[in-house]
Amino acid sequence: MTSKHELRNDVESFLFDEAELLDNWKLPEWASLFTADGKYEVASMSSDQPLRDDPATSIFIISDDREEITLRTDRLMKKTAHCEYPHSKTRHLVSNVRAREDGGQILAKSNFATYRTKEGRTSLYMGEAHYVLQRAGESFRICQKRCALDLDTLNDQGRLTIIL
Amino acid sequence: MPFKSVAFERLVDVDRAKGRFRINREAYKSQEVFDREKSQIFDKCWLYLGHKSEIVNPGDFVRRTVAGRNLIFTRDRGGEVRALVNACTHRGASICRETKGNARTFTCPYHGWTFDLTGKLVSTFSNEGYRADLNEAGRLNLPVPPKLENYRGFYFVNYNPKAIPLVDFLAGAKDAIDSYCDQAEDGEDGLYVLKGEHAYSINANYKFLVENSYDGYHVIPTHISYLDYLKDRAAGTAQEQVVADVANVFRGKGKLTCLGNGHAVLSSWVPTGRPVAYWIDRWGPEIKRHIDSNRARLIQRYGEERATYLAEMQKNLVIFPNLVFNDNVGLTIRNIEPVGPGRIHVRAWGFAHKGEDPELLKIRLDNFNNFLGPAGFGSADDIEMLELCQTGIEHSPTEWTELSKGMDTTAPDLRLQTGAPDDECQMQAYWTQWDRTMRGLDTFEQE
Ligand code: FES
Ligand SMILES: [Fe+2]
Repeated sequence: MTSKHELRNDVESFLFDEAELLDNWKLPEWASLFTADGKYEVASMSSDQPLRDDPATSIFIISDDREEITLRTDRLMKKTAHCEYPHSKTRHLVSNVRAREDGGQILAKSNFATYRTKEGRTSLYMGEAHYVLQRAGESFRICQKRCALDLDTLNDQGRLTIIL
Repeated sequence: MPFKSVAFERLVDVDRAKGRFRINREAYKSQEVFDREKSQIFDKCWLYLGHKSEIVNPGDFVRRTVAGRNLIFTRDRGGEVRALVNACTHRGASICRETKGNARTFTCPYHGWTFDLTGKLVSTFSNEGYRADLNEAGRLNLPVPPKLENYRGFYFVNYNPKAIPLVDFLAGAKDAIDSYCDQAEDGEDGLYVLKGEHAYSINANYKFLVENSYDGYHVIPTHISYLDYLKDRAAGTAQEQVVADVANVFRGKGKLTCLGNGHAVLSSWVPTGRPVAYWIDRWGPEIKRHIDSNRARLIQRYGEERATYLAEMQKNLVIFPNLVFNDNVGLTIRNIEPVGPGRIHVRAWGFAHKGEDPELLKIRLDNFNNFLGPAGFGSADDIEMLELCQTGIEHSPTEWTELSKGMDTTAPDLRLQTGAPDDECQMQAYWTQWDRTMRGLDTFEQE
């Protein structure tokens, strides 16, 4: 049994590694962090309960199952994904990490601020990310990552073509 | 006198003998043109406000910006649908600050003036110092757009008190909206707006997004990575070859139909399947049962031919000047709000059928999120194209944009022509209407 402090430390390192993969555009490697039934979701900004919404009945910005996660990352690695060609520069800042065991799983939460620069324009995406993690040897696998943006619209950012 | 004055009557150049249809690029970038569009087009045409399912109960409201004006779309105590201008008649403050909710009245935060759901001023917080006839003839009630009408539950406003009725304005687009409503078991009452929305912006002229929204020509080059995605998902099923053949099928099966008054619909065939009544292998036998029963219902109700049209064909309908109905895998509405010559705000909502099987609903939602929207596998690339266009026309010395593909040079009215799905007839219809409206030849007014 790891102490609360160690758990937070381990999760934090894992999230830092995840952020680094994304900033280096190692998207297939990022996709492989997910379990076979893993999910990656970004809730609609008009929602008043972004963490509770059900993607089976509500509009999301992104609601990818494991297959779609791979399709998304494969697509983004292609030159024909026009919106991310050439790849934008990103910086994923991760902080305020919390983690606790819950049954066999780990529930974690972080705050994020992600910058994207493309064609001389820089945008900021900020919010909180909620993770359901599973232990995998020394590290973890992601069962679910749901992001809730602290935004009303994407009017300033225009779009969300990177991974948060 | 502005530095460079635009000749409004020469922005659309048509030469039928030469098969030429071209647009002067000032139409996409000039502030003068933009200002004139506001008064000639957006103050005269019917503009989308919302759907009846968004305000089911008395007091329900949503706040919307429609051609620059912030409106409250609400249902009053008597059940009547209303649109109110969200600005206080006292000193102008915005009154309602939530984006949606349920209210008994709307109270201005500044001096506490209170308005009921019909916009009537019911309290001034303090009466002292005011004459009893302060609100004589309702002059201090909230203003309302001069016209508010609906077609099959879709509400539109018009800022021109002399505007022709909505149904006349919609012309042939009525049938296209019918085909959107008729799919649901209970018709228009069976449609509802899903929770959540897509709200984003594009640094491009609004007409670039209009053109893109029913442009069959761009589908293969722009969306090749989406077609790859469909192919990957269909791998190992009978659908795989169909997807691979889409380039041939696309031009063969679809059609462009111009509907009058600048509206047009692109019907096309894309191998994604349609939860309304067109099944693909990947969805499995369980879903096939639901879809088969939907299909049988459509055939029974509308006959074989229309049922096939409703079931199999995707429709991208543009209602002049800035509204898009997408009837693809899911049903969506996209409203294009012009903010400046090179800037738009986009709002998109998804629709579903009441009581529909959860698996079918899931397919709709998947498509809305996967293809459409600011993070979708399709729209994100469209957005990139539109911004590339805006950047290009802003600096390029090329004066004209070429839009002549497939022009029917014998059509008596280009606003009523038909064409192949990857032609540009729909845009010729749009621009013909745009030109006539900008020049004041069509005002959409009653005598
Ligand atoms: S501005 Fe609204 S009450 Fe004064
Ligand atoms: Fe497109």
